[in-house]
Amino acid sequence: MPIFEKKPLPYDLSNFTILVVEDSEHMQTLITSMLKVFGVGEILACTNAKEAIDLLTILQASKKSKYLKNVDIVLTDWLMPKGNGEELLSWIRGNEKDTIRFLPVIVISGYTTEYIAIKTRDLGANETLVKPISGTSLAGRICSVIDNPRPYVKAPHYFGPDRRRQDIPFAGMERRIAETEIVQIKKSVE
Amino acid sequence: MKIEIYKLANRLKLRMGARFQKQEEGFLAEDSIEEANKLIAQLCSICPEVTGQHLEGIIALWAKMKDMPASPERSDTAQKIFTLAHEIKDMGGLCGYELIAYFAESLRDYIGRTDLNMKAQVVIIQAHVDAMQIVHKQGVKKNAGPEAEELKKMVKMAIDKYH
Repeated sequence: MPIFEKKPLPYDLSNFTILVVEDSEHMQTLITSMLKVFGVGEILACTNAKEAIDLLTILQASKKSKYLKNVDIVLTDWLMPKGNGEELLSWIRGNEKDTIRFLPVIVISGYTTEYIAIKTRDLGANETLVKPISGTSLAGRICSVIDNPRPYVKAPHYFGPDRRRQDIPFAGMERRIAETEIVQIKKSVE
Repeated sequence: MKIEIYKLANRLKLRMGARFQKQEEGFLAEDSIEEANKLIAQLCSICPEVTGQHLEGIIALWAKMKDMPASPERSDTAQKIFTLAHEIKDMGGLCGYELIAYFAESLRDYIGRTDLNMKAQVVIIQAHVDAMQIVHKQGVKKNAGPEAEELKKMVKMAIDKYH
């Protein structure tokens, strides 16, 4: 038995930059304040998808600057006037730059319908956080994005994190009509 | 059909430094989560005031919109009501004001899925506004009980009759 057992440490988010996209002033202030107490190093905030797209484009273009950091996680509301979460998520996953298209995205939604759950998943969201949020639920989603980085899949009609959360071997018959060629790519994005 | 699978290095863990590389499941400090929950409580302490302001906004917009002819301006006003209702729903839901959140959500969804220039909107939106005003004035929180059921019945009747 070890004399000194190493205790696991809480995550240190001081090197993280998180982009919050939320139209409601109160909710935006709340989420950014919560991220601050979680120790997130830099928090950027936008009120709609259009602003967020502009900001991500600028950050991407000036990535050599020592003052501007790339965003590590995007937290976006789903329903916003002047550019909603759907537009932002589609833009991110459809982007040609690796630093943008592989960005982890957590969708915050006030809708609890199955439609939204399927829609966010099919557009390539990494996690969905249903309102009302709590400290525990927000922390849980952030940790989940860090702990479970699923591989990204590029299929003819989908690009995003693997929608299967578990890799379970399938023992049944192969019923796929089209022949599938699976190409595994290892990539380091920075 | 070609499917590409990208296995990426865990960049987020790399950002945190070497000491977290071997840790399979992480967590955030418990006191920071408690602190975050306190922030929610702080926001909730001003929830009735903010909800009241949003409700006043809806009433003012609604008074303007009621008599407007079908026009882009009318649709724009309806969109503003939609946004305010959405905010009431979010904040009410966050702070335990379930009943006003229920009516705000119902109003938001109704505006979202309806032809914004329909005459029937007048009665249905008015029923929602009336119900929300009563709930706000009386400070009712729970989405249960005879009072809540009666108000829900009133709104449902308006929707069933005019939708």
